[in-house]
Amino acid sequence: MTSDSFLDVAGAEKSFGGVTVLGGVDLQVATGEFISLLGPSGCGKTTLLRIVAGLLAADRGAIRLDGEEIGSRPPHRRDVGVVFQNYALFPHLTVAENIAFGLKARRHPTAEIAPTVRRFLSLVHLTDFADRSVRALSGGQQQRVAVARALAVKPKLLLLDEPFSALDRKLRENMQIELRRLLRELGITAVFVTHDQDEALTMSDRIAVMNRGAIEQLAVPAAIYRSPATAFVLEFVGLSSRLTGTVVGQDYDHVIVDTAYGPLRAPGSFVVGASVVLAVRPERIKVNPPGDYALVARLRDAVFQGSKVQLHFEAKDGDHLMVETADLSDGLPAPGSEMRLGWAVADTLIYPAS
Amino acid sequence: MTVKSAPSPWRDPVALLAAPAVIYLLVVYAFPLLWLFMKSLTGPGGLTLQPYVSFLSDPFNWRVVGNTLRVAAWVTVVCFAIGYPAAFALARAGAVLQIVMLVSIILPLSVGAVVKAFAWQIVLRRDGIVSQTLVGLGLWDEPQRLLFTETGLVLGAANIFLPFMILPIYSVVKLIDPRLSEAGATLGATPLYRFTHVTLPLTLPGIVSGVAFVFSMSVSMFVIPSLLIGDRFQTLATLTGRSFLLMRNEQLGSTTAVILLVLAVSIVVGSTWVARRIGGNQA
Repeated sequence: MTSDSFLDVAGAEKSFGGVTVLGGVDLQVATGEFISLLGPSGCGKTTLLRIVAGLLAADRGAIRLDGEEIGSRPPHRRDVGVVFQNYALFPHLTVAENIAFGLKARRHPTAEIAPTVRRFLSLVHLTDFADRSVRALSGGQQQRVAVARALAVKPKLLLLDEPFSALDRKLRENMQIELRRLLRELGITAVFVTHDQDEALTMSDRIAVMNRGAIEQLAVPAAIYRSPATAFVLEFVGLSSRLTGTVVGQDYDHVIVDTAYGPLRAPGSFVVGASVVLAVRPERIKVNPPGDYALVARLRDAVFQGSKVQLHFEAKDGDHLMVETADLSDGLPAPGSEMRLGWAVADTLIYPAS
Repeated sequence: MTVKSAPSPWRDPVALLAAPAVIYLLVVYAFPLLWLFMKSLTGPGGLTLQPYVSFLSDPFNWRVVGNTLRVAAWVTVVCFAIGYPAAFALARAGAVLQIVMLVSIILPLSVGAVVKAFAWQIVLRRDGIVSQTLVGLGLWDEPQRLLFTETGLVLGAANIFLPFMILPIYSVVKLIDPRLSEAGATLGATPLYRFTHVTLPLTLPGIVSGVAFVFSMSVSMFVIPSLLIGDRFQTLATLTGRSFLLMRNEQLGSTTAVILLVLAVSIVVGSTWVARRIGGNQA
């Protein structure tokens, strides 16, 4: 099978001591695209990244980059840059020397190296730090050196392994925007490994949600959030209200599910008698909606979160009922009060119970 | 805003922790050394440089200085060639293997140089294992004696001093993030370039201390050359020993001792300085 993807990973497999870490992963990335590999620790995302970089040999599978098979090449002949989680800056070199390292190693003409280093120093706003030791920099500055160092050699592909995990929140958000802008300006294709769903949702063109060595869903962020392909994706990305139940009827393209709150309708097709989980994103649920409503629940807790309020309702074991709503004008409702909750049937997600 | 000045070593009570070591070294090391130095400068008619002039004007003594430096340099080179890769193997080994390796490096230190030198006498004989192996491999036509040769001395001494090369390098390698070499690779650096531009500069502090240890120990070794090469081959250390023990010539002994000390210290300090310059802004 041929593919016109810029990066094409086909059937990548890896196991360590009999334990499968990556079970035949396929991944296609288009030129200039920013893809996130999102998943919990141990899901294989870093293993996949190291295999693409050539720092780890896959047991099976092929990797093509820009039309060339690179799977059997050593890392220094792949043209794949990496920003490491701990940055891995050379401690014995200055900021400018770190950025120049790849250019010198690739024997770029000396006359070109200095201007390139200056350009990347200014791109990451570190011009004044050129001759500092990298050990004297803050975490955010080190991170920028690592990005500049990886980009200075103009790699075909940039891999980033949780590069923001050591930064505090405010700095992290700034760096996310900066990095995205920088990669767009330079037209760099990037694969970004993270366990932070917010980071993946804000930065990515597409997200690959990984679990147990496989990609569960590969889609644009909005699709990942609005229509998670599996219960794992639903749980891993974003919050949700979840009600367990049994399918009691099926009509055309809807099922009726019997839950602790009575029968509820959901789009989909299941055999009668199947155990299922219904899920709704909390901001899709309306409190005291006019007209039709789905159920009545008793408030357990109301949490003020600035721009929004989170309402948690009493629910039976295995169920979880929560609502996110804009700040209520008449103050927080008292715990114990009964509220009517409703949502559109089309917003209901349904998965087989695990 | 007030800025705290760096604490003075006199104010900082931590400096006092060095006091026992300082006093001990002053009493048992610095004062005797000073006495030795004065002895070498004291002639029958008072202060004189005559012992140094007559020592340096004798070509035999120059051969002794040459022997000393050549053997010490070879021992250091052999220790480095064997010890540097071994230090990496040790640092990157799994927990159990690492303990086994560390024990097998450190435990022999408790045997002592005399016993090991005697063992090497057996190894280096004409019918010893080295000779037999080389003949067996077809590298030598007939068995040869390595004992009482310079090669034998270097081999034996290198074995005895090897831990002092491995351990300081190991302690530095252990602290190097293996990802630095990976980062170099993803930037397009070949394994050789990564070694010369990342690994080597980062291990330089370990190399400097390993070389300083082994060189200063082998430049001043006395028992090992006495047993492995004998009296016909003199070094500054064995000459010093003979002067004091056999010839009862305290002036010659103290003169050679001072020359040995000056040579060893200046070479170690000099090479450290050069290494630091090459290493750039190393810690």
